[in-house]
Amino acid sequence: MSDLFSQPFEEDDVPERETAPRERRVVTVSELTASIRTLLEGSFGDIWVEGEISNCKTWNTGHMYFTLKDGDAQIKAVMYRSAVRYLKFKAEDGLHVIARGRLAVYEPKGEYQLLCDHLQPHGLGARQLAFEQLKKKLQAEGLFDTKRKRPLPALPARIGIVTSLDGAAVRDIIKVITRRHPNVHLVIRPTRVQGDGAAAEIADAIRSIGRVRGVDVVILGRGGGSAEDLVPFNLEPVARAIASSPVPIVTGVGHEVDFTIADFVADVRAPTPSAAAEIVLAAKDEFHTRIDRQSRRLRASIGACLERRRTRVHFLSSRRGLAGFPARLALRGRHAAELAHHLQHAMNAAVSRHERRFRTLSSRLETHDLRRRLAGIRGQLAAAAGRLAASMRRRHDRAQAQLGARAARLETLSPLAVLGRGYAVCWNEDRTAIIRRAEEVAPGDRVQVDLLEGGLLCDVRDTHASDDPKNS
Amino acid sequence: MTEPTIKDFESALAELDAIVKALEEGDLSLEKSLELYERGVQLSRFCHAKLEGAERRIEVLNERGELRPAPTGLGTDNEPAGGK
Repeated sequence: MSDLFSQPFEEDDVPERETAPRERRVVTVSELTASIRTLLEGSFGDIWVEGEISNCKTWNTGHMYFTLKDGDAQIKAVMYRSAVRYLKFKAEDGLHVIARGRLAVYEPKGEYQLLCDHLQPHGLGARQLAFEQLKKKLQAEGLFDTKRKRPLPALPARIGIVTSLDGAAVRDIIKVITRRHPNVHLVIRPTRVQGDGAAAEIADAIRSIGRVRGVDVVILGRGGGSAEDLVPFNLEPVARAIASSPVPIVTGVGHEVDFTIADFVADVRAPTPSAAAEIVLAAKDEFHTRIDRQSRRLRASIGACLERRRTRVHFLSSRRGLAGFPARLALRGRHAAELAHHLQHAMNAAVSRHERRFRTLSSRLETHDLRRRLAGIRGQLAAAAGRLAASMRRRHDRAQAQLGARAARLETLSPLAVLGRGYAVCWNEDRTAIIRRAEEVAPGDRVQVDLLEGGLLCDVRDTHASDDPKNS
Repeated sequence: MTEPTIKDFESALAELDAIVKALEEGDLSLEKSLELYERGVQLSRFCHAKLEGAERRIEVLNERGELRPAPTGLGTDNEPAGGK
């Protein structure tokens, strides 16, 4: 190191000028810097530095420039594109990292910096960090939003499966689906599910199966494995492919405890491949049960609907108003016969209307497979109709009998009958009023007298009160 | 009476649910009730048939986008794991 200053001129190997004063050795900036460079680069050729990233910028050349710092000092650092490419996570400000590299002096600027060839997060593993970072990024883009999740088809036309043909996952899925629903159309798109390049393959498989006609749901499956094995499902290409899939995707990746980025983006996340199959395909039995239940409810409500009408018919047939009607009618002598006729007509019409309605009802019911259940109700309806008709007829007969009796009574009360017994009716001259008292007329008035047969026109000669002895 | 056609299993199931609900709420004329009932029966038959009607098939989509029958044994329960 001491000979550094003993060689003031251009290069180390240039012969020393014999005239140079020994007490003052002047070197050029370049010389100094070159010496510093040699010194620093020689001494710090391979070091690990721990610090926090700040001012991190990636230029469009792909190189990344940042500052590593701690509480008291900082050092500039650069990472070239060739190294950045292998970073499993995204270097960003505030990240606490351990950087490996060497010191490099940039002579034109007189700066030294850490030439970094590897970064690893302090604390978290790199993979874990990458996971958190991608998760945060996609979340910020809204790819995990619940409102993006699409409903699954109730009965898929074709189920797409993206998985490896070699693993247990594909067999598990097929087994579950076959058990739940023996006749289903499956389309498998085989893909590698682990190792380098698997993510791109999976993404491609998702895209191509989404284009197959009839495939309306896709299972993305992979059996359990190490965290390393699940890495492809935590990479961005897979997440993007899921997000842009035209059909809903159900993930079943790894074991129950494993959550991958793919799971977050998927429309439905199932804990395992088998569970994914179960979610995609509700058991056929469940469907049959559900449809049967709806059919039962259908029958019950149509039954209730008919029952309500039956009750109404019963109510009508026992109404008080209907029962009292013929009796009231009988009191109206003049129109009694005519109204009785109308009544009879109306009753017959009502009965036959009901009968027609029941017949229609019955015939429509015949067309459905209600026979077993509704036979009873139909019987009741028919019986009710019969009872209604019978009771209408009975009431009508009774009403007619009553009418007959009243007509006979009317007969006895008729004025003609009274005249037959020798009484006469005395009217005033113009027959507007019947004369009941002597004072209603005066001597000289004329009156008319109706007899049983014929009448008289009389002049009143005299009147006398009822207590007059002349009147018996 | 002309019936609207049935689109697919899912809409049939949804319509069946709606009909059951409407009938259970009552307040419909007898004619309307019977009409709905008839439609409901038709829908449930359709659904049952649809459940039974599909054909079991397992196909593999290759990298050229072609559909091929799956390797034998893939879909059978008794196939030993890793048999291929």
